[in-house]
Amino acid sequence: MKLKFLQLALAASLALGAVVPAMAQKKGGDVVIAMTAAPPSLDPHATSAQVARNVNLHIFETLYARDEGARPVPDLATGVTVSPDGLTYVFALRQGVKFHNGKDMTPADVVASLERYRKAGASASLIAAIDTVAATGPNQVTIKLKTVQSTFLGNLSSPRAPIAIMPAEEAAKEMGKAASIGTGPFSFVEYKPDSHIKLARFDGYKPNPAYKERDGFAGAKVVHIDSVTFRFMPEAGARDAGVETGQVHFNEQADSTTAKRLRGNANFQVISMLPFAAQILKYNMAQGAATDVNFRRAVQMSLNAEEIMGVAYPDINRIDQSWVYAGSAYHTGRPAFKQDLAGAKASLAKSSYKGEKLTFIVHNDRPTVDAATVMQQQMTATGINVELKVADWPTTSGIGLKSDQGWNFWTHGFGIEPYEGPASAMSHWVKGQGQRKDDPTIDALFAKLNGEMNVDAQKKLFAEFENRMADEAIATNIGNYGLFQVASSKLKNFKAYRIPRMWGVWLE
Amino acid sequence: MGRFIVRRLLASIPVLFLVSLITFGLLWLVPGDPASMFLDASATAEALERVRRELGLDRPFLVRMGEWYMRLLQGDLGTSLLLNRSVTSAILERLPVTLSLTMLAFFFAVLIGVAAGVVAAVRHGKAADQGMMTLALLGLSIPEFWLGLVLIWVVAVLVPIFPPGDYVPFFTNPWEWARHIALPTFTLACVQMGFVARMTRSSMLEVLGQDFVRTARAKGLPESYVVVRHGLVNAMVPIVTVMGIMVGGLLGGAVVIEQVFSIPGMGRLIIGAVLSRDFPVIQGGLLFLALIYLMVNIGVDLLYAVIDPRVRLE
Repeated sequence: MKLKFLQLALAASLALGAVVPAMAQKKGGDVVIAMTAAPPSLDPHATSAQVARNVNLHIFETLYARDEGARPVPDLATGVTVSPDGLTYVFALRQGVKFHNGKDMTPADVVASLERYRKAGASASLIAAIDTVAATGPNQVTIKLKTVQSTFLGNLSSPRAPIAIMPAEEAAKEMGKAASIGTGPFSFVEYKPDSHIKLARFDGYKPNPAYKERDGFAGAKVVHIDSVTFRFMPEAGARDAGVETGQVHFNEQADSTTAKRLRGNANFQVISMLPFAAQILKYNMAQGAATDVNFRRAVQMSLNAEEIMGVAYPDINRIDQSWVYAGSAYHTGRPAFKQDLAGAKASLAKSSYKGEKLTFIVHNDRPTVDAATVMQQQMTATGINVELKVADWPTTSGIGLKSDQGWNFWTHGFGIEPYEGPASAMSHWVKGQGQRKDDPTIDALFAKLNGEMNVDAQKKLFAEFENRMADEAIATNIGNYGLFQVASSKLKNFKAYRIPRMWGVWLE
Repeated sequence: MGRFIVRRLLASIPVLFLVSLITFGLLWLVPGDPASMFLDASATAEALERVRRELGLDRPFLVRMGEWYMRLLQGDLGTSLLLNRSVTSAILERLPVTLSLTMLAFFFAVLIGVAAGVVAAVRHGKAADQGMMTLALLGLSIPEFWLGLVLIWVVAVLVPIFPPGDYVPFFTNPWEWARHIALPTFTLACVQMGFVARMTRSSMLEVLGQDFVRTARAKGLPESYVVVRHGLVNAMVPIVTVMGIMVGGLLGGAVVIEQVFSIPGMGRLIIGAVLSRDFPVIQGGLLFLALIYLMVNIGVDLLYAVIDPRVRLE
């Protein structure tokens, strides 16, 4: 009898437990998010900027998307069948998916979107392996590859510049001109430049029935709120004040002082989004001192990662020098390099460096400048003459993306690639893209990884890549840094991810 | 007066041309272009070139400049590279915001500044004079962005009287408009208030020491009449000159204030355009600001004639 009562009590409590969260969910309200900048474009194919991703991934969806662990899972597709030779991918599409203009999504829309992206998308190289794309059934799209690419689904699901599916008539427009009409859980309402972007819940949206809850950029995207407003607030103090006065529900980037002050305050939830990116030091291997491996090794041995990350990102850094984030199946957990001044001086003496002044470019983001300043001082201690050149992003990237602009070092965040996985992290160093000079070993490892379907063998190849990067000092991964984010306690069920997802949350 | 206005308007055309030419020259010298705003650090040089082509930035500089002037002659300021709309509409959207902010700040700066300057001059050497001038110096010395941040912290966060930022148009909700614009207006007016107060004081002291003021007092006229009718009116010419210069300061200050208080005005438009190298917006925005400045100065010249009948505009 007693046992039966306990069973009944347990059943009742379980039932209540299941019911209570559902009851707690409230429908309605406008969530205001403070963003550091405005997106350069709302055409999802046109830009790989993080701020654009924050907005666009609420409006648009992709055939495959990354789950909570960054693995590719079906989103607008229900699944894929891959031919035994690994060259043909047949995607079955989810039925009853509607665009925000009321039109049903068809295979023709998918084909048009993929064709547009591979022609001129911001990260068109992601799907450069595609040979043909065709609608092969009422709910089916077939992609044929030129060569086997083990990472194809990973590339297709990249959120970097999302390979979003849009109506064929929008996909016919030139890059940057497509209207914000997607299949996502929010539809576009208005964009007031320098002020805000407003999105509204798309009532025609049917959450993916294959999932029970949100899962990364995929999953069941259930929207409880009426709308979300992304407000552009470049001034950090204004963002903090906005959250503290209740004008803003979520600050996507707070400084560590504010985070410390608000931690423990019941009105706010302080989130440490770590890792968000890796701080990397690039060498221009096409010209100057960094063409010499002994010089690059000397620089690498000069650096004290703990000191650099501690100064630039106090309280929100992790010394992890793997090129993917911890938690990934490919994370090698390689030991961090140690500062070795004697070794650095010896290696410098072996190099062709003769004390000439070298140029270190960095964009004017405070922590990045701090990181560069500490690196400069550490290099100076070894005897390397370094001059920092701080400029805004257009100037710095305009110089750094070319070989012949007189730069020797460049440090910046490397955020989305380590999240996306080994192929993405490696691809930046293929054909000398990041280091400005081809490295045949890395190119060969990347080619092998693309053709390798076995995960264990892929892990081995990735470990070889990491060794090559460290041994030859092709680029130096200093460590991971994070972002402090602050959410109002009124924002319920929020879970931090690469973007502030507004599905699954509600306002109290 | 009509001929004077026409002459001044015609004279402003070469000034505007010079402004646009200098802006073009500076933009040509500044490295970087808007294409990089579309891409992250992992982009390839080829991707950068593709975006440059799409934005038309691969064409020679002189060709782009020629096209811009041709369009300008037809009254078209071009299209923003990032905002996906015409520069004229982007400016006209923000102009009322910046004008309401600067005009309000101008009004309060003049009202309070002139009153403080007159009081300081009348109470010359006394505690009121020293107090006013200390406050004026303080207003002149505090950077606008710092004052704005402190005010947000004190009267928006600690004691939540005003909202910390954002803007509500007057016709949407006049009460909310007033609440939202109060702090930015006060911050912007502070520096100029100090400037006007000090200028008024020195000008008033000079006039109040003149023989005709002594004569007025000797005639037994009430002191308030002497100060206002004989003192202030005659001291106004240099003050009005300062007002013309102030508009430039206010427009410049508005750039900072709009950034601090997240106000979508002309200042933020231009700052955003400069940071992202949105060339057409920079060109159009600066041309517009120069035009406003010129118009205000023509207005100031007209005021001289109103204040001082000896000034003949013809």
